[in-house]
Amino acid sequence: MNRTVAKEDLDSRIFNTINIILLCICTVIIVVPLWNVVISSLSSGKALAEGGFIFWSKDFSLENYRAVFNDETIGLAFLVSIAKTFIGVITHVFFCAMIGYGLSKKYIRGRKLYVAMGVITMFFSGGMIPTYLLIKSLGLLNSFWVYIIPALFSYYDVVILMNFFRNVPDSLEESAKIDGAGDWRIFLKIFIPLSMPAMATIALFNGVGQWNDFMTTKLYITDQALYPLQMKLYEIIVQSQTQAMQNVGGSAIIETTTKGVQLATIVITTLPIVVMYPILQRYFISGMMMGAVKE
Amino acid sequence: MNKAFGKKGLKLCTALMAVVLVFTGCGSKGNSDSSSKELSSIEGRYTIDPETPAWKLDKKEETTDLTWYVNADWWNTDFGKDLVTKKIKEDLNINIKFIKGDDTKLNTIFAGGEMPDLLTVLDSNSPVVQKASTWALPLNDLADKYDPYFNKVAAKDTMNWFQLADGKTYGYPNYSNTQNDYDSGNIPAKTAFVIRKDVYEAIGKPTIGTPEEFKSAMQQIKKEFPEMIPFGFNSIGKGTGSLGDVLQDFIGVPMETENGEFYNRNLDEDYLAWLKTLNEVYRNGDISDDSFADDGTAFEEKVKSGKYATMLLDGTPQQSGNLQIFMTANPGKEYIAIDGPQSTVGHEPTLNQSGITGWMISFITKKAKDPAKAIQVYTYLLSEEGQKLMNYGIEGETYKVNEAGKIEFLPEIKDLQLNNADKFKKEYRMGEFMFFGHDRDKALSNDAFAESIKQMQEWGKGKMKPHFILENINPAQGTPEARSLTAIDTTWNTSLVSMIRSKDDATFDSSLAAYKAFLNDNNWDKIVEVRSEKMKNNKEKLGLK
Repeated sequence: MNRTVAKEDLDSRIFNTINIILLCICTVIIVVPLWNVVISSLSSGKALAEGGFIFWSKDFSLENYRAVFNDETIGLAFLVSIAKTFIGVITHVFFCAMIGYGLSKKYIRGRKLYVAMGVITMFFSGGMIPTYLLIKSLGLLNSFWVYIIPALFSYYDVVILMNFFRNVPDSLEESAKIDGAGDWRIFLKIFIPLSMPAMATIALFNGVGQWNDFMTTKLYITDQALYPLQMKLYEIIVQSQTQAMQNVGGSAIIETTTKGVQLATIVITTLPIVVMYPILQRYFISGMMMGAVKE
Repeated sequence: MNKAFGKKGLKLCTALMAVVLVFTGCGSKGNSDSSSKELSSIEGRYTIDPETPAWKLDKKEETTDLTWYVNADWWNTDFGKDLVTKKIKEDLNINIKFIKGDDTKLNTIFAGGEMPDLLTVLDSNSPVVQKASTWALPLNDLADKYDPYFNKVAAKDTMNWFQLADGKTYGYPNYSNTQNDYDSGNIPAKTAFVIRKDVYEAIGKPTIGTPEEFKSAMQQIKKEFPEMIPFGFNSIGKGTGSLGDVLQDFIGVPMETENGEFYNRNLDEDYLAWLKTLNEVYRNGDISDDSFADDGTAFEEKVKSGKYATMLLDGTPQQSGNLQIFMTANPGKEYIAIDGPQSTVGHEPTLNQSGITGWMISFITKKAKDPAKAIQVYTYLLSEEGQKLMNYGIEGETYKVNEAGKIEFLPEIKDLQLNNADKFKKEYRMGEFMFFGHDRDKALSNDAFAESIKQMQEWGKGKMKPHFILENINPAQGTPEARSLTAIDTTWNTSLVSMIRSKDDATFDSSLAAYKAFLNDNNWDKIVEVRSEKMKNNKEKLGLK
């Protein structure tokens, strides 16, 4: 008896040790390049051009960040990014939840048709130019709402929510109805609180998407005041590249290099997501788990 | 259940398709009405005078708003904030709203019918440019009607070069160099074979013109400077670095066959002899394997730190910053241009520079609200006055003309350019607003190029030859020939590298043979036909024989 326990103990110990070693290796593989990006972005252009450092920079300098923040419109771009992510996520999650709630009810009329229509949109999209024309006729060109309205609906997210809502026992809804609750009340007071993990997962997915998206801006926005951070930084990068190209008779001092500016940009854009991730992570895990197991 | 869904799904699909078809069918109405637009009248504003630029005559009081699309993401869209654009704004009484983007954006602009007043693209070979007559206004007509002075400032050769089938010219490029420009000697060479001065002196300043001399010089460098790479070249990337057409120009490989047809310069015997030499140099260990793998940045780092003893360097102005850094840090060791490899059959170098096609090309669209103002912008920027403004700013404010008649930045401006590039860019923006910019204007000032490349440019004098006949001769985009050509070019790039890196002569020959076989299998004859035809057209346009 004792022996088997000891054996199991040994087994799991070996298993754990191997696991820990493997995970450590994985972590190192992931963390070292990230760390290198961070310290490289904090190095002077000259040191960066010479290269050869991995863990600690040779010549500490904030010049790369200064080059990025030199643009005074970057503050506004930051605000646009935050507004578009915040409003975009809330409206998207709420909108998808409403549709998902509706579609999760078996008694709704034409449900199969809606589902089929949704599935089709998952496989076929209008294409870039028709979409542009649509956005144009809707009067959304050069409007902040182009970030929000076209991003309201995602059938993929609706399916996730729909499945989640289906797992809520019918009896719960029935008893609420008997107590006199209407659809809104049931949706807001019962379904939404019960589905927080799914909502958080979708919010995270969508939030990262909104934060990183610059194609929308590229296609539909020409007014610089509506540029989000990503577009602004994209611009700074291309400009630093052409500056290097146009290096004609110019100065011999290199404070920043294209690479340095790019690295600083990566850090600036990634940081908010890195900060948000641990906060949302616990929802994220339970959201994934709940979707996976069906009773 | 499944079957039912399948049927339903099919019905649904058909219905959706029908709806889509009906809608798209209706969509394109009302967009094509502008093709026969009459040029609007300028009566009451001014009467044209061939001797005076129209912007000086125009009495329009309200400021004209122009939108200008530039198909480049890096374009700085500010207008009227810095010295250069402020002056343009005042002189012409215009306000320009710049829009920028890439090809995707350009497509949506065309599809959506949201045409700007002016439009600049970077690829003169693109379908948009080829079809300019459908969406742009002809510059000839605009000049006749609004601003005949334009014909004085526009280069005739350039106008002819961009003429479309209807005999009219729609776009005008920047950095278009004509035969006159070449003849004037104002365009500096951008290619040179350079060697570090200290190395050159240490090995006794030998001539390295023949393959034998070249090989032995490299060996000597290797012996005396073991930490250096004897021979380097521009980074290869997806192209040929400076070992393809640049080397061909350097040793003067002919551009056409004797009867004026397309000549495959890659298979020229003289050139192949040099490739063989490079292969031997490689086998002697005098070319680093890294050189084939380095990207632009890695190459620049090596230039900056003087790692290469010699280089076949293309684009010296682009490298001038790096060369300058090395020069400043290592006085007496700077890179200098020498004659370097020469033709084994006695050809003279035929160095290339930007050709007549130029770089960015600008159009006035049919949707232009005030085409008269738009052509005035062209005339203004193309004139002597505009050119000086774009490059050097305003006399007395940013530059002065010295005794030698050369333009010189005022000391505080020069200082700003060297030490506070950001402020210089932001407040003055000289040399950056370069629609209609031109190489010849660089000759107006000694400050236009860095010290580090002046000797190289001096060396290149008299060694340049226009490559006009070879411009824009590739098969039209989308044709089978164009696809074959892309494959052939890629194959050539890899063949070139394998040939230079061959372990022995046999491998070299087999790589070459494989390239030749690839040509035969991929429509090469057709491509040659197309190119020869286009070369003939080029000659006609330029009046060459």
